Amino acid sequence: MDMTLNAFTLYILTGLQLGSIFVLIALGLTLIFGTLGVVNFAHGALYLIAIYLAVSINNALGFGLALILVPPILFVFGVLMERGLIQRFYDREHTDQILVTFGLAIVLQELLKWVFGANNIPFAIPSWGNGILMLHDYLPFLEGFVVYPKWRLILVVVSIVTVAAVFALLHLTRFGLVIRAGMRDAEMMQFLGVNINRRFMIVFGLGSMIAGIAGVFGGPVTQVSPEVGMHLLVPSFLVVVIGGMGSLGGAVIAGILIGMAQSFTAPYINLNTVIIYLITVVILLVRPRGLLGAKGVFE
Amino acid sequence: MTILDIHQVSLSFGGLKALQNVNLKIGQGTTHALIGPNGAGKSTLLNVLTGMLKPDDGSVMFDGKPLLDVNSFDINQLGIAKVFQTPAIFPEMTVLQNVTIPVFAARDGSFRMNMLEGFSKQRPLIEFAEEQICELGLEKHMHSIAGSLSRGDKRRLEMAICLANKPRLLLLDEPTAGMARHETEKTIELLQGMKDGITKVIVEHDMNVVFSLAEKISVLAQGQIIAEGSPDEIKGHPKVIEAYLGEAQV
Amino acid sequence: MHNQQSFWQLNKAVVLFALVALTMPLWFPLINGYSGLDTKIMIFCIFLVGFDILLGFTGYLSFGHAAFFGIAAYSTGLMLKNFSDNIIPAIIVAVIAATLVAIVIGLLTLKRTGIYFSILTLAFAEMFHSMAMAMLQTWTGGENGLTGMPTPMLFDIKMQGSAVFYFTAIMAIILFYVAKRIERSPVGLMMKAIKCNQTRLEYTGINARKYKLLAFVISAMYAAVAGALMVVYEPFVGHEFLGWHQSGEVVIMSVIGGVGTLVGPMIGAAFMLYFENVLSVDLGEQWLLVLGLIFMFVVIFMPGGFMEAVDRIKKRFITTADSE
Repeated sequence: MDMTLNAFTLYILTGLQLGSIFVLIALGLTLIFGTLGVVNFAHGALYLIAIYLAVSINNALGFGLALILVPPILFVFGVLMERGLIQRFYDREHTDQILVTFGLAIVLQELLKWVFGANNIPFAIPSWGNGILMLHDYLPFLEGFVVYPKWRLILVVVSIVTVAAVFALLHLTRFGLVIRAGMRDAEMMQFLGVNINRRFMIVFGLGSMIAGIAGVFGGPVTQVSPEVGMHLLVPSFLVVVIGGMGSLGGAVIAGILIGMAQSFTAPYINLNTVIIYLITVVILLVRPRGLLGAKGVFE
Repeated sequence: MTILDIHQVSLSFGGLKALQNVNLKIGQGTTHALIGPNGAGKSTLLNVLTGMLKPDDGSVMFDGKPLLDVNSFDINQLGIAKVFQTPAIFPEMTVLQNVTIPVFAARDGSFRMNMLEGFSKQRPLIEFAEEQICELGLEKHMHSIAGSLSRGDKRRLEMAICLANKPRLLLLDEPTAGMARHETEKTIELLQGMKDGITKVIVEHDMNVVFSLAEKISVLAQGQIIAEGSPDEIKGHPKVIEAYLGEAQV
Repeated sequence: MHNQQSFWQLNKAVVLFALVALTMPLWFPLINGYSGLDTKIMIFCIFLVGFDILLGFTGYLSFGHAAFFGIAAYSTGLMLKNFSDNIIPAIIVAVIAATLVAIVIGLLTLKRTGIYFSILTLAFAEMFHSMAMAMLQTWTGGENGLTGMPTPMLFDIKMQGSAVFYFTAIMAIILFYVAKRIERSPVGLMMKAIKCNQTRLEYTGINARKYKLLAFVISAMYAAVAGALMVVYEPFVGHEFLGWHQSGEVVIMSVIGGVGTLVGPMIGAAFMLYFENVLSVDLGEQWLLVLGLIFMFVVIFMPGGFMEAVDRIKKRFITTADSE
């Protein structure tokens, strides 16, 4: 592959940008799975709610309000979802959990389709985020005139900040300590008198909120239409599987890996279509628990 | 004649040495108890024998055949059955169906594509399963759903499942754990009444059960065999008492 | 598991199904069903019965069965276009193709627990979906789908209208009978034991993994037959045959009907198709929303589906009869 440094840099940036959305969705998924043991097939629908909310608020009241309102609304929605529905299924088989979240995903998607229609709603990028960035001004090793869309870079930065915030929450706060311990052994936590129910509720809200952030910034990139939710869920699931179910670090690494794979194979359309599945198969065969997955977890 | 030869088996979980150079010979037809304080490695050893865990070192021979690197189901086909701490049965199926499964496993091996086999061919096996159920005193539950049985009856059912494909070695992992006095007595009767020829390895905490059944006792502490002998020899053994200090068991 | 049973007792369900199915053209129009829809219902009965052998017996939830449906449909279409208009070789090739794919996917995905299995089957189906739209476009027709098939022939009989209906109905009856035979064979017993307690099954000398794979492949073959017949019924194959929507619909039909009962999922299929094509006239575009809500209701409150409802009603009547 004959590639210039310019082209390479662009591929890397695109890889980061593609990976950003996967990372954000996978982060929520794996956080919920690692803590509650629930596979949330409705997570794509949460992203869907986020982008529709974001685009509605944005087009009516501006991006600033969308940014302030959407993540908290998603947090509340996540809490309600957990209290209203998910918690009834903790004692039931995993298959039932998958079925009910899948059902919810369909209901939410159809509801949004009913309200907003099946067509794509344009999501206008705010003026400060619009346009291109002159990369060659910032990166001296680039030759000549090299540009990149500003918004996509903003998306990458937002993801990094969000990931950092989640890690800080989990590793630097007492709440985070309890969550991490709970991820290892929920029963033990209950014996220690920790109010597991409240923690579960907050974690689900948190996972939903991350999807909310993804929606606010990702909406203009992924487009706003009903199929987007499920469309993103499949690769996000694979990111979780490749990274290791329940591993947050794994989700980040795998998300970036998949983003890069899609970016670098873009010129080769046939390979590009199947690359993430090929990577999944290889991981399944060579390291079934995922890159950073814990041994024995669902092996 | 030694039916089970455990030789220099070692297994570590990270830094924890669960089993260290365990050597154990089980004589054919005997009832051999494995005791020791909590965390000694007894259940770990049983899991190695059933193929669930793979040791880092050592070998296990069953009737002259190597047992490590063999799948759990093949180990059972060789003649080793395990009774679990919490009775492991098929809760949504009837008692009869539960016991029919091992009977088919004995006839067909671990896999057979006989998808169109009808009841007429299955008849003799079903009848054999019915006999097994009667022998363990569960006739009146023949068509009951297994999950609805009392714990004691579930234990009996599990025993019936294990015995139905005629094992040569029966591993019992704390068979009376959590049982009331009279249930324990019944379990002891059950095990005493079993046909001769089946070798039994029992992991137990209840010394009453151990001394009622065991012909030979091995004591495991911190992954090592610290004593071995007849019940009388073990009763006053200084090392055993030392290992159990702090345990209000005997 | 009972003593000598008569042919009738053993095959009650199949005989009843045969009666209902073969007389369908007579009674279906009475409830506003149009001809053609009855054929589609028969096709999905086949799909669902096979799917229940996997989900109902072993408990493994596949979100990717549309892959086999679609692969078989495309194979059939291509065979009819390029090889012969006779449907028999087309169906055979379609089933073989789907079976081979099923063996590979099964080997990769069944090692793990049910959760991984569900995720991975969804993923692989989407992979085939993407491939059909992109790199295999020349064969599949990409976004527009595969068209231009000749009138399918069963040797000298033109497969149109009634002929197609009776052909699919007979196939459905036969395949339902086969599923019932599997259910009462040792294989069926082992498969059901997998759902109950896979560990205990292994410790009882059974290679659960092989039985899982067998269930998976059998269900894929049923899906393939359905996919092939779909093309015989309607000469068109769209990429959506492979999509998660299609897989999801099968899951919904199974659950609403009653997982594990073999006959329940068929009822679920009939219900959903009837709902989608007849009742939706009044509901409009929102039929899937309503169905989704019904689905959720069933999962939360009545996981045994329609068959559980029937059971409960039966028990009500028996107890009230007893107390009188």
